[in-house]
Formats: sequence, structure tokens, C-alpha cells
Amino acid sequence: MFEKDIYQLIRGLRAHKGTEREYIQESLKECRKEIKGQDMDQKATALLKLVYLEMFGHDMSWASFNVLEVMSSPKYLQKRVGYLAAVQSFRPDTEVLMLAENLLKKDLNSPDKATMALPMTTIPHVINPSMANSLLTDLLPRLSHSNAAIRKKTVVTLYRLALVYPETLRPAWPKIKERLLDDSEDPSVTAAIVNVICELGWRRPQDFLPLAPRLFELLTAGGNNWMAIKIIKLFSTLTSLEPRLVKKLLPPLTSIIMTTPAMSLLYECINGIIQGGIMEAAEGTTEGDEIARLCVNKLRAMLVVEGDPNLRYVALLAFAKITSSHADLVSQHQDVILECIDDADISIRTRALDLIIGMVSANNLQIVVERLLKQLRSAGIASVADAPSNDRGMHDGILPMADDEEDDPRTTIRPKEPKSTQAPPLPDDYRSSVIEKVLSMCSKDTYVNMNDFEWYIGVLVELVKQCPASSTKGHFGSHHSATGKEQTSIAEAIGTELLNVAVRVKAVRPDAAAAAQSLLMLDTREQLFPAASSGGNGVLASVATIVGEYADMLPDPEGVLTSLLHSSSSQLPASVLISYLQAIPKVFAQLTNSQRAAWTSSRQSTTVLLVARIVHFLEPLTLHPNLEVQERAVEYLDLMRLASEAASSQRTGTGDDRYAEPPLLLTQAIPSLFSGMELNPVAPAALRKVPKSEDLDLETPINSNLNMLLAGVNYDSEYMDEEDEVYRLYHERPSAVATAYERPAADMLEPPQASRSSPYQDAEADEVHQRATDRKKAERRERYRDDPYYIDSEHRSGTSTPMHNILRSSNGEELDVDAIPVMELQLDSRDVASDPERTKPAKAIRKPKRHFEIAGDETLGNDDTPTSLPTNLAKPSISREKKSLLEVDSSGLSALSLAESTSDRGNTPLDIERRQAEEEEMAKAMKEVERLRLEMQRTQERIQSRDVPDEGTVVKRKKKKKARVEMLNDPPAGDADGGEATAVRKKKKKKKRRGSDGEVQEDQNEQVDEAVAPVKAKRKKKRQVTFDEDTAGEQTV
Amino acid sequence: MINAVLVFNNNGQPRLTKFYTQLDTSVQQRLISEIFTLVSARPASSCNFLPLPPLLTPNQSHSSSSASNDAPSLVTYRHYATLYFILISTSTESPLALLDLIQVFVEALDRLFENVCELDLIFNFETQHAVLGEMIVGGVVVETGLERVVEGVRAQGRVAKRPVNEGRGTGVGGLGLGQGIWAGR
Repeated sequence: MFEKDIYQLIRGLRAHKGTEREYIQESLKECRKEIKGQDMDQKATALLKLVYLEMFGHDMSWASFNVLEVMSSPKYLQKRVGYLAAVQSFRPDTEVLMLAENLLKKDLNSPDKATMALPMTTIPHVINPSMANSLLTDLLPRLSHSNAAIRKKTVVTLYRLALVYPETLRPAWPKIKERLLDDSEDPSVTAAIVNVICELGWRRPQDFLPLAPRLFELLTAGGNNWMAIKIIKLFSTLTSLEPRLVKKLLPPLTSIIMTTPAMSLLYECINGIIQGGIMEAAEGTTEGDEIARLCVNKLRAMLVVEGDPNLRYVALLAFAKITSSHADLVSQHQDVILECIDDADISIRTRALDLIIGMVSANNLQIVVERLLKQLRSAGIASVADAPSNDRGMHDGILPMADDEEDDPRTTIRPKEPKSTQAPPLPDDYRSSVIEKVLSMCSKDTYVNMNDFEWYIGVLVELVKQCPASSTKGHFGSHHSATGKEQTSIAEAIGTELLNVAVRVKAVRPDAAAAAQSLLMLDTREQLFPAASSGGNGVLASVATIVGEYADMLPDPEGVLTSLLHSSSSQLPASVLISYLQAIPKVFAQLTNSQRAAWTSSRQSTTVLLVARIVHFLEPLTLHPNLEVQERAVEYLDLMRLASEAASSQRTGTGDDRYAEPPLLLTQAIPSLFSGMELNPVAPAALRKVPKSEDLDLETPINSNLNMLLAGVNYDSEYMDEEDEVYRLYHERPSAVATAYERPAADMLEPPQASRSSPYQDAEADEVHQRATDRKKAERRERYRDDPYYIDSEHRSGTSTPMHNILRSSNGEELDVDAIPVMELQLDSRDVASDPERTKPAKAIRKPKRHFEIAGDETLGNDDTPTSLPTNLAKPSISREKKSLLEVDSSGLSALSLAESTSDRGNTPLDIERRQAEEEEMAKAMKEVERLRLEMQRTQERIQSRDVPDEGTVVKRKKKKKARVEMLNDPPAGDADGGEATAVRKKKKKKKRRGSDGEVQEDQNEQVDEAVAPVKAKRKKKRQVTFDEDTAGEQTV
Repeated sequence: MINAVLVFNNNGQPRLTKFYTQLDTSVQQRLISEIFTLVSARPASSCNFLPLPPLLTPNQSHSSSSASNDAPSLVTYRHYATLYFILISTSTESPLALLDLIQVFVEALDRLFENVCELDLIFNFETQHAVLGEMIVGGVVVETGLERVVEGVRAQGRVAKRPVNEGRGTGVGGLGLGQGIWAGR
């Protein structure tokens, strides 16, 4: 049969331009066949091909057993392929790993050092805690191997063992330390040890303090820059524990900074000085001042150096670390740092931006923000074609394509020639991060740096235009709220900011309202929103809230209402529509509530017209898929119908001089719905502090019969009467606003004696009830007198709408709508989270130019500390859960104290001996199992070879079975230390085998019986083996 | 420590992938394509550090906490002719030193293949792994000296050359490697 080697595979790939997918599938099929074969060479080649294809994303986990086979090949080159495949393809759930353990141990003890190196480089990739313990005994002696390369690899492998099983470090550490302290040790081994110690060091710096003299010696000796960098990094974690180190370190570090030709070492020196707190520690002394100046000057030089963006990048990183401690030093270099904001390179810009945030003050805030705005303005918004999602290879997996002609792979690898350096349009995520930074800069500490809120409102409006274009692309309409939630966040954040300013700073409220109006009005929106996209739509929700809440400050309420009612508005996302619906009646009330103006016929017709337009807008929304929208639309629709009725029925003044009373509903009732307490910023935790009402019982079911009712629902619906109101409510489409109008829900609830003829007065209400209500109200008022959130019904105009009437008469006095304290919270979570001190009222502003009163958050009680506590507590637990993708968790090490090892050293060798004894027992047992397995396999082969000539068709089936049996035979070897899980699996497999054995018996003649017999015998023996292990365990314990 | 080493060409086709933690093949591929998207959009004049790709970005910003020292925080790359060399590492590595490390890796390949080019790496990806294995074990750098790396690879056996008929174009010879910007290592 024709078979390909790896070169032919690659060549074939390159030749099949356009049909790579098919070619790969074909090749994979071939590999599958080849890898099952007997020829080891063929197996290894197939495996190498699979590894190559794995690189392009073709899963090869199915071949894990074959990987093991090739790994155990006696030939080095084949073995190497096997080990490579193990590194590349084994995953934490790869089962055959347990079988690999013995092989790894064997190869670790190989006389050939090339073979020995293979498991060493492989173990870090495949190690698990149970293996770590048993491999340790084989690895430890390698630390004193004659070959330096082996020694250094051993050190690193031991480190990886410790990561999965920290206890292994205890016996290993003394030996590693011995290597480090040995002056005659090969420098590259020392360097490897230093690398490992640097990794260990930040977890438990205290354990490495005793090594400081040796490390210091290595640092001053020089020679290996890579090692010097690592030592400096290690020292920077040690200095916090041993302050005396600072003084010792200063001279060598200074001299390195002055003399080294290696920029990386120079940078790490400065970085180490910063991170190790050497600057702070040495502050005040002449050397300290000198080194601080030296560092900052060097960093500045790195920033301004021409042609090396890398240096600029790392210098900014270093600056960012100093800002917290030496803000003054950094701000001296504000000029160069500000330059970096406009750097061509986005990475550098982002770093500079991070840095700037910590540097803003009342004096430079406007300059910085203007600069950022200019940047946003001048760069074009990324077009859709540039969006990363449209990049090829982003979404579908990478295919090993034939190479493009223009990228000749034969070109010698060398630095590419500079392409055009024209700056690309700003990517969206950068754009939104700039906006985010601007917002957080300005709102920092409740606007402590803000001098000019009018300017700020202008900035916010401008920012809306700069919102990334594609953020809401393709998410329009009702499903928006579910899918596009986080994508609109940047525009939403701007909206929240605007709302925040409007609520907190009374002085600029008219400006905020005007800004909101301009953002909302359809005719101005075009200029203010990003072109040809809905990127800015997120801002509309907050804008509508402002417009509604401060309707009295709007320059043009009528225009606003027109925009709110525009037919395009109903297409907005549900989250925005909700605010719209709330704003509409508020603006309407503003337009119609005038008490003084006479109720003329022209006023009447305008009002009726207005109401008709609102009704027209609301009607379709009562069928909106979003429940919140639907509910609000239905509520306000009914209110508007009442208003319409009231407006058209109220008699108008006939003459010019006669004053006619406008309808009370318009002048009093509707406005009173919206003009209760003023909305104030409330601290997020304040709600939690509202004392719980004593008679509030959330435990008792409202309807004790609930379970039965619920159970009855399905059953009931089968024969539910068409007339049933409940049924109709839940099962019929809300066909009809119109029908609802004809037969309002109120009618059904209304008892016959309650008259509807006088809808606005409750003159006919029962006298007794009235008195009871009054008494209760008085009581309630007493109770809530000090509660700012309680909206007193008496406070208002006093007339109650029919709704109140209806509810009261039908539900009895127990439930009173007025009794439910209504409050609206405007939470401003982003700001508050960053600043628990927020609750202090109105901070003073530095510049006396114009004093803005900034309202702080309102809260209950005086102590602020508990408000921030819960969030603080919650955070770490979340972050601990989440592990980064590539992260190698070393947290286990932090619990392991190496210092202890001196005291328990007596134990450790014992431990090792015991483990060794266990290992030997285990190995014996394994050998036995292996022997049986081979025996078994031989019998199987015998059957197969006898079968082959007879019938060709059976061969395939046989082969399959053979493979399966082979697999089945192996678990025992792993069983030795696999947990219960494998035991269970083994049982299952046993069953399966029994099944297949049965088949064999049925299908074949006595030949097979021969084969079955050993199988049975083997099974017995295996049981014996497990028994052996048990006793072995008992002996050792 | 170093979390992953990637090599891919200008079209994003991987030439070497090495992850020092076990990851699903599909996740590996996603990571590669995310990084490729980031890296291919960068003009030549920009610096050699990438922002973290979306897959690696932590959800919360807990950058100052010590636990983040375990998480990869640095993506360093270098671009040579048709190939990108990428290192993903934690904050315990020095960014500038990593750039030098890539340079050593490429120089070692160049020494072994004499005028290394992408084709060499395509056909001898096993040798690439061997070179990398001499320099980085389990995410920890064990050797930075060029001589010793080359020596270590050669000790494992003859380094196969690219099959003859694949041929090299015209004389693109010369040590095309840009000298390291930082002299020291």
C-alpha cells in the first residue's frame, strides 16, 4: 500500500490549493489506518503527520493510545515522535496518561542522555498530582547527573512537579539549593535555578531570604544578563521583607544602570528599583534621591528616544508603577507622557492613557480631555470592513492553506521592510476605552477635578458622536435588549454620566436639559450621533429620563414631545422605549398643566390633538413583545384616554374675558403623579439599610392554596370555559385596546354601587370607610413622618382617580395604593463602587471661578463603612473562581513552607524510602499484569492468524475486536493507582468483553474455545494481582 | 513563566504551537486566530507588545492582586519576513528580555538550517520543537546561550535539511537576521 511520509503530506498540502479540506480528511483517514498497523516505522510516521495536522486544529485525542505505543518504541527517533505527540495532544482528561507513568520512569533511568531528556521535557506538560509523587523518586537523582543539560532540565521539571503537588518540593529543595550554592556548577544550570527561584519567589519570598548573599554574589559577578534580570526581579520581592537589602543593592544597581550596554537589563534595574520600593526606602538619603532622579531621567530618555517604540512602551509601564508613590516625579514629565497619547501605536497610547488617569488634576483635566477628544475627532471611525470580526481566519478555524504566491516561504527570515506607516482608523475597543477613560477621569471622586460643568456637558454631547460605530450594528429592535446589552454600554455610560450631572449639579440642570433635548430631537440627532450607525442609541434611555424629569427646563418641550412620539421611536430597543414611555406623560403634563391660562377652545383642541397623538403612539406598543414596555404603554394609554375624555368634556370659556377652569385632571392629577419628591442620588447600599417593616412577612403564602391552584392549571385549561376571565387574560391575545376601552378592566372590578358618574371625586364613598381610611392615613403619616421616601398622598392635590376608588372599594381597606411607598432610585454604581467616601455631601471645588454644588449620595445612618463592605467581600471570591486561560496555578505553593523542611527533615528520607518500597511493589504488580497482557495478546493473534485465510470478511471484524481487547487489557496496569473511577470503568469493560467473548463463542468453533480459556484464566489471575497490591499497601502502611 | 510559544506566517497559518498548559485543540486555534488578528493589524513601526487577546483578558480588573501573577499578562512578538514569533508570558518575565529570547530562537534556527526560511520550518517542525525544547522547558527558560542551544539540538541527532527538490529560490542568502537591538542577553 502506498503511504506518505511527512514531507509528502506537506507537499501534498501545498499542491492541493483550494481543496485542502478534502485532502486533509483523506490524509487523516490514511493516518488512522496506518497507525493501527504493526509496523512501528509506519506508526511513527502516521503519528508525526497527525501531530502536524493537530497544529491546524485537527483533533488527535483518539490516537492517545497509539501515542503511548510509539513512546515505548526502543528506537530514539520514533520515541521522540511519540513524546512530541504526547506533549502536543495530551489533555487533562487523557486516560492513557496513567499507563504512561511506568514508561516515563523507565526512560528517566535510561543510560542514554538524549532518551533521558525526552521524559523530562514532556513531564511538565502531562503531569498530574498522582504521577508527581511517584516520578519524584526518579527525578531527584538526576539533579546530580554528569550532564549539565540534564541537570537544568531536571530543576525545571521538579518545579513543575511542585506546582501540581507542592509536597514534592520539600525533598527536592535542599538538593536544588545545593546546586545553586555550588560555585563550580555550570553557569547555565545556575541560571536555570535562578529562573525557577524567581518563579517560586513571589509566592513565598520569606523562604528565599537566606539565599540573598549567594544571589547578590551572582548579580555582582555579572556575565549572564538574563540571570541578572531574574535576580533583580527576585530581589524586588525580597526587599519588602528585608529592608537592609536596599542599602546593599543600591550601589550595584546604580553601577549597572550607568554601565550596562544591555537595554533590557537597564530597564529591569529601574523596574526592580520601582517595584521593590527601593525608591521609597531610600528616600531622603542622598543616594536615594540620586537614584530616583537617575531612574526617572532614564525613563524619560526612553520615552523620547527616536525609532524605538518598545522602549517607549516599557517606559510607560514603569512610569505607571511610580505614579502611586511619586506622582510629583511623574508629573514633571507630563509633557512627554502627553505626547504618547498621540503616538501612532495603539499599544503605547493605551499605556499612556492608563498613566494619564492617575495624573489628572483640576488644572490639567480640560487640556487632557480636549486632547483626547481631538484624537477621536480626527481619526475616522473604523469602517465595517476593518472590523476584526470580518478578518479572515477569525471565525472559521485555520486551514493549512497552500501558500500564497506573494509570500514566498523561501524568503530568508529577516526583519520585514517597513510598510506604510499610515495610522489605521482607531479600533472600536480603543475608541470606547478612551471614552470610558474620559468619563472616569472627569467623574473621579464625585467631580473633584471638575471646574466647569457646562464645558463637561458639551464634552458629553461630543462623546456621543464619537461612540464606536459598529457597537449596535445588527442588533435592532426587540431582541436588542437580550443580545446587545453590553455592546451599547459605552453610549449608555455617557447617558448615565449626563443624568448624573443633571441630578447632582443643580446649577447646570437647565444646560443638561437643553443638551438632552438636542440629543433627543430627531432633526439635531443626525449631527450629534455617529454617522450611519446606531452606536449612540444607548444614550437615549438616560436622555429621555432627563427630558422627562426636568421637563420644566426644556427650551422646547413641544419639539421634544414630537420627537418622542415619532413613529421611528417605537422601533427603538426596549430598554430605551421604557424610558421614552415614562418621559412622554411627563412632557405632556408640562405642556398642559397650566392652571392660570384660561381653558379656551383653542387650548382644548391643542390638548385633544396632543392626546390623540400620544394615544396613536401608545396603541401599537400595547402589543410590544417586551413586558415592561407593554405594561407602561397600557397604563399610560388609559391615563391618556381619561385625559382625552376630560379635555373634550370640559366646557370652554366662550368670551375673551371670561376665565374657564381647565380640567383638574390635566392641571392637578396628572402633574401630581410626577412631581412628588425630587430624585436624589442614592448610595447603592442605602436601600439595604431601609428598616424592614415589622409586619412584613414574606414567608407566609398569600394564597395558602397556591400549590393546588398551580397543580390545577394544566388540568383546568383542558375544559376551561371560554367565558372565564382568568383564562382569557392568560390565553387570549390582547386583541384590543379598543375592546379594553369599551369595557375597561375597571368595570369588572367595580361593584355596582360605586357610581362612575363622578369619576373625579369620591363624594359617594362610604362615610365609615372614609373615616377608617383617614384614621389609618393619619397613623401612617405619623409612622413615616421621617421617612423621606414616603410619598404622602395628602401632600398632593387630594383628588383621587377612579383607579383608587375602584381598588379601594373592591379590595377593601387593607390594601391601599397610597400606602405603598414609591421611590425611584437613580443608582450610579460605577462611580460609587470606586469611592466609598462618596456619601460626604458636596465637596468643595478648588477653583473659585464658579462654585458648583454637587449633591452627594444619600444614605441612611452615619457609618459608611458597611456600605462598601459587601462588594469588597464579593470581589475576591469571584476573581478566585475565574482562572485565566493559560494560567498555571501556583497558589498551592503559597501554603508550603520550605523553612519547615529543616525541622522535619528527619521525615523526608523516610518518606522517600517508603515511597520507593511502594513503587517497587507496584512495579512488580505491573510487570505481572504486563506479562499477562502480552500472553493474552499472543493468544488473540493466534486466533487471528488462523482465521485470516478462511474468510476475508471476518478479518475486519476480528481486527476490530482485537483492537478492543487490546484496549481492554490495559486498564489493569493503570488500575494500580487509578482511583475508583477506573475501577468502575473496568467493570464495564469487563462486561463488554464478556459480551464479545460470547459472540466469539457463537460465531466460531472450538478453535476459539482455546482462546477463551486463557481469557478466563487471565481474569482470575488479575484478581489475584489486585489482591497482591492490597497486601502490599498494608505492608507499607 | 512563559505560557505559550507560537509561530505563524503572514496568513495566520501556524508553523509551531507550544502551550505550556493543556488546552483543548479548539481553544488553541481560537487563541491563535485572535492573536493573529491583533498582530496582523499592526503597522511595522509599532512596538512589539500586544494587548491581551479577548480570550486572555480577565473579566475583573484585579491587576494589582498577587494572584494575577500567575495569569498571562504579556504578549510579545517579533516579525521576521513571512513569520510571526509570539511569546505569551506572565509578569515575572521581562518584556525586553523576551524579545531577545525570540531573537536567540531564530538565530539558533538559522544556525541549524543555514539561512533559515519558512520552508525549513514547515518541513522540519520536529527540529523546531527540539530547538524550543532546549531553550524552554515547562514554561521556564533553561538556556539563552546560542551556542549551547545549537549544541543541544545537534546532540539529539543529525538535523534534517529541507528535501532537495523543494529547492531554494535565487540567492536570497546572507544572514538576514536583524541584529538584536539590545546587545546583551
